[in-house]
Amino acid sequence: MIRFILSDLRRFKGGALAVVVLIALSVALCVTVTLQERAVRLGSARAAEKFDLVVGAAGSETQLALSAVFLQPSPLPLVSGTVLSKLVADPRVAFAAPVGFGDSADGYPVVGTTTTLVSALSPALAEGALFTRLGEAVVGADVRKPLGAEIKPMHGAAEEGGHTHTEIAYRVSGRMAPTGTAWDRAILVPIRAVWQLHGMEGDHDHDDDGDGHGAEAAEEDHGHEHEAHVEPDATLDEHFDAGTPGIPAVLVKPKTVADAYRLRQDYRGETTLAVFPAEVLTRLYATLGDARSLLLAIAIGTQVIVIAAILLVTVMHVGARRRQIGALRAFGAPRRSVLAIVWGELFALFLAGFALGILVGFCAARAISASLTATTAVRMPVEFAREDISLAVWFLLLAALVSIVPAFSALRLSPASALRA
Amino acid sequence: MLALAISGLTIRVAGLDAPVLSIDLLDLPAGGRLAVTGASGSGKSTLVNAITGLDGVTDGSVSWGGTDIARLGPGRRDAFRAAHIGLVMQDFHLFPGLSAFENVVLPARLIRRLTPEARTRSFRLLEAVGIARPDQPVETLSRGEMQRVAVARALLGKPGVIVADEPTASLDTRSGEAVAGLLVDLARTEGATLIVVTHDPALMERLDRRVALAGGRIVEDSERARAA
Repeated sequence: MIRFILSDLRRFKGGALAVVVLIALSVALCVTVTLQERAVRLGSARAAEKFDLVVGAAGSETQLALSAVFLQPSPLPLVSGTVLSKLVADPRVAFAAPVGFGDSADGYPVVGTTTTLVSALSPALAEGALFTRLGEAVVGADVRKPLGAEIKPMHGAAEEGGHTHTEIAYRVSGRMAPTGTAWDRAILVPIRAVWQLHGMEGDHDHDDDGDGHGAEAAEEDHGHEHEAHVEPDATLDEHFDAGTPGIPAVLVKPKTVADAYRLRQDYRGETTLAVFPAEVLTRLYATLGDARSLLLAIAIGTQVIVIAAILLVTVMHVGARRRQIGALRAFGAPRRSVLAIVWGELFALFLAGFALGILVGFCAARAISASLTATTAVRMPVEFAREDISLAVWFLLLAALVSIVPAFSALRLSPASALRA
Repeated sequence: MLALAISGLTIRVAGLDAPVLSIDLLDLPAGGRLAVTGASGSGKSTLVNAITGLDGVTDGSVSWGGTDIARLGPGRRDAFRAAHIGLVMQDFHLFPGLSAFENVVLPARLIRRLTPEARTRSFRLLEAVGIARPDQPVETLSRGEMQRVAVARALLGKPGVIVADEPTASLDTRSGEAVAGLLVDLARTEGATLIVVTHDPALMERLDRRVALAGGRIVEDSERARAA
């Protein structure tokens, strides 16, 4: 029987292949959509885990969360330095660290911060030591710079037409362990170096609500930045007070959950904004989830069309093979054998298409995730979950049912009328 | 070896007043060799379909060795045919993509596992019908060879009856003669009742009895003529 099915499939090679490819493509579409949505959701949730509370200047919550979690360059308004010093001194706060974005080096974001945050991200460094001078930097796990390498920061990003800061070249002093977050691609430098580089430290003309050193810095700002002076060998000073310059965001680790909620309450005001990045992301996923349902609906719709097309093809195919089926029965093949042959042939095509589709979908999701990881450093885990099994079982059941239809239609005629066809 | 007894067999088709086949009585003893002739539309194919169970019969009885196949359902009819009737058709109905040997054993394989005895028997039958290479793909054979493979297939299950529908009509004279000879000789040695629908005088010659059909009725029966 298997031999008969195989020789039959060999005879209709082209058609069989077309059917398999059709099914494979539609299955692959479903698999990719499902896996990719899950990968993005899991990956970014894990990336946000490390950041409990982010405080910034009043503005967009989403932008604040995305900039802090994914280091996405965006024009963030600056929050006053006093906010940072108040947070550092707050008894409800385990630690508060400033983050200053805006510069980049070789495509990696350069982030000004404190040793506290480096230790929080990577309790033990993979190699080297924390920065102890203004001219030193700790790089993320995915930054391809050896210890001791020089990093020339660039204002903005190269593709935005930024210019290089010639005043300073950081020296890599350490490397963080992998965190699976966007920070794996970051170059962390002392926040004071960033301020000095942009002429903001103890600055006379710094403006709290300005956009002095964001990626969006206006061209006319460059004039005064070039007058800046940085001393690479100066030691770190991580005490902040009212004279502290403005910063785009402060990452806060509250001591307890209750503290987190109270802090968020306290820093939601007219000039400041406090968000839980995880909460912001959850809201984003709701939107993403809607998009996924839509895509999935389209994918399933495609599948229905494909199945209908296949039904049509097989009904025609069975019609064309009526004589063959009649002959099988005339020469003594029992009805169950005929059923098994027609059904088996079709189901084999479904199975092959299904398996190929899962493989293609999985590989596509892996490729998409890999390219996303390459640009964001956020690990996007492509994995199958329990609920996929029931989806697969449903598909197979449906395929089994659909492929039995032509088999029964093949038996409707008496062998004599089938032979006359 | 099975005897055929037909009585009161009437087959009608929708839209025609006169029955396409109407046979009051036809008996063929076990081991008999019968030729059925008649112009096209005389009811020959209808008769073949009725006595082989390829079509259902609602009116009358068609009895093989005491089993009235008119009373069997489609599934049981298929099973009876598989067990007792060897079929040879004008168009061979071999399955391309399979070898000569695989074509011979296909029905046996689809019903149950192929026994070693059936295997050896199929090789013997292929040899008897003159197929030298049993593993040759069946679509590469000549038409005469194809029909000989079909004869071997019909005989594999040791049927009590062989029914052949125009077995030589699509063959050239030489191949036709070879097939006709094989059919009659093998039916004798295998001990099967033989019914052949044919126009081929050479084939008719080899059979004991001849029945002519016209308009669905028996208009001539060599046996009755002799008896009369």
